[in-house]
Amino acid sequence: MNKRKLINALIMTLSTLSALVGLVFLFWILWTLFSKGLHAMGLNIFIYDTAPPGAKETGLRNALVGHLILVAVACAIGIPFGIMAGTYLSEFGKNSRYANFIRDLSDVMMSAPSIVIGAFVYAIMVAPVGHFSGWAGAVALAIMMIPIVLRTTDDMLNLVPQTLREAAYALGAPKYKVTMQIVYRGAKVGMVTGILLAIARIAGETAPLLFTSFNNNFFSTNLNDAMASLTVTMFNFATSPYDDWINLGWAAAFILGAFVLFVNIIGRMIIKKRGRR
Amino acid sequence: MLKRLTFLGLSAALAANTLMADRISGAGATFPAPVYYDWAYAYHKATGNEVNYQSIGSGGGIKQVSMRIVDFGASDKPLKPKKLDRKRLYQFPAVIGSIVVVYNLPGIKDMQLKLENKDVADIYLGKIKYWDDKAIAEDNPGLKLPHKKIVVVHRSDGSGTTFNFSYYLAHVNDDWANNVGIGKALDWPVGIGGKGNEGVSNLVKQTPYSIGYVEYAYKLKNNFKAATLQTKSGKWVTPTLENFKAAAKYASWGPKNHFYQVLALQPGDNSYPIVAGTFILLPREKTERNKKVTAFFDWAFKNGDAAAKKLGYIPLPASTKEKIRKYWKMHGIAPDQ
Repeated sequence: MNKRKLINALIMTLSTLSALVGLVFLFWILWTLFSKGLHAMGLNIFIYDTAPPGAKETGLRNALVGHLILVAVACAIGIPFGIMAGTYLSEFGKNSRYANFIRDLSDVMMSAPSIVIGAFVYAIMVAPVGHFSGWAGAVALAIMMIPIVLRTTDDMLNLVPQTLREAAYALGAPKYKVTMQIVYRGAKVGMVTGILLAIARIAGETAPLLFTSFNNNFFSTNLNDAMASLTVTMFNFATSPYDDWINLGWAAAFILGAFVLFVNIIGRMIIKKRGRR
Repeated sequence: MLKRLTFLGLSAALAANTLMADRISGAGATFPAPVYYDWAYAYHKATGNEVNYQSIGSGGGIKQVSMRIVDFGASDKPLKPKKLDRKRLYQFPAVIGSIVVVYNLPGIKDMQLKLENKDVADIYLGKIKYWDDKAIAEDNPGLKLPHKKIVVVHRSDGSGTTFNFSYYLAHVNDDWANNVGIGKALDWPVGIGGKGNEGVSNLVKQTPYSIGYVEYAYKLKNNFKAATLQTKSGKWVTPTLENFKAAAKYASWGPKNHFYQVLALQPGDNSYPIVAGTFILLPREKTERNKKVTAFFDWAFKNGDAAAKKLGYIPLPASTKEKIRKYWKMHGIAPDQ
């Protein structure tokens, strides 16, 4: 065998092995999550609130509902801002200095540590008001969401062929109509995927919630009050010394993991479908 | 359309909430957290009022109530009257607990291991490194101590448990007093840190040959083994409720100095050395909110003794409870009848 082939075979084996190692860890995590989490699941998870260690009627209802509300409100704030900013960049700002500056800035924000965002929101929304609140938690999540939605919207709108826009202009459509009815329609699938991935990204965050929405041992849908979330509950319970709390922590991890996996798979499926068309 | 529906749903939820019972929020010490959780759970069942207590450590509790972010803070470190005036806080004790030195030593039973007070400090100073060190062995002639490194576990967060524990260490060991001192967060010479009593419990549970300090309730819940220590005068004393009570008898709290008193190292032949009150902090200007908090503790003082005892705490004596009620009246924050 000549040297070139030998090196080729060697590198092939090495890269295949590395890929396998990566996969092994992924499946290991999934397996642990499923085996431990599934075992901890039960009807009680959905009908009872978190209770002191040792209590009979214990579950995660408050954390589940709180988490859904926080993510939903974060979406209601983050998605419109992200889409509008992304639209500005792609359709209006284009390659101007200002637009590129915003692009760079949002890239920096995307990699900002989430705990820093939590501290920022604590300083502007918790400390001045004088209490923890669901609003603060949702805003912290929304801040994390905006750069992701912004970037994917910008990229997806850019993929819409320029000729399509020109055709619409030629028919006499005003710019807002071109943007909303032609460009958005062309980029719809990509934008939805970006939004789904952004949701999956923020749904698993603990750090931005730790001192914004804090935690609540009781069922609450009041956004002006501290609110329970799956991630913070999981953090507290998993580090606790009580077996029943640790089990609930696993159940929370399982629900969260399954949710994020589900959203990710849907996102991928949409991308694939578009590829086939 | 969908968004409008969510919005409607949310505003409906908001409106429904304002009609509901009282909600108060508290944060702080992990030391009394098990009993506060229990009280809050029972209080909710009995009255429908919600007390959301989160155990983030005494340091966090003092900080959050000073910034007026929670309705009450909880700390095992009593604040001095001057500091209370500066931060505009009221303070009263809620329950008494005890700090036990727990060990994960296979083959050695609960309370079998005897540790001299000064040796506990030497272990935490890193001067005693092995379990079969002469200093430990000479107090435990009957035990087969392994030649294993001692894994020292301490707190990583600002902690009232650490304050009381280091207060004790500083009074039994000059080296500790001079080089490390007393505080909620210390510059630890050796060891690994856990967050909260929960974190320390978790580490001790998982690490063979480790030693840690936790509130007695955490020892009970985790079936830990706790060391026999010494009274102030050097007599051996086991970590039992009886001996905790013997020390707690010496509590002489009074409303004049906002109940300031550290309970460690009380005199008496059966007084366990590290017993501590745990305190509630209230913002002075929030009279109406404070009444809701005192209503909860008033209820707990009346109905919560059994739960506290079951978890391993010592309820406050009736005389102290009366003093606290007087203190509330004095400051106009007694619960509305």
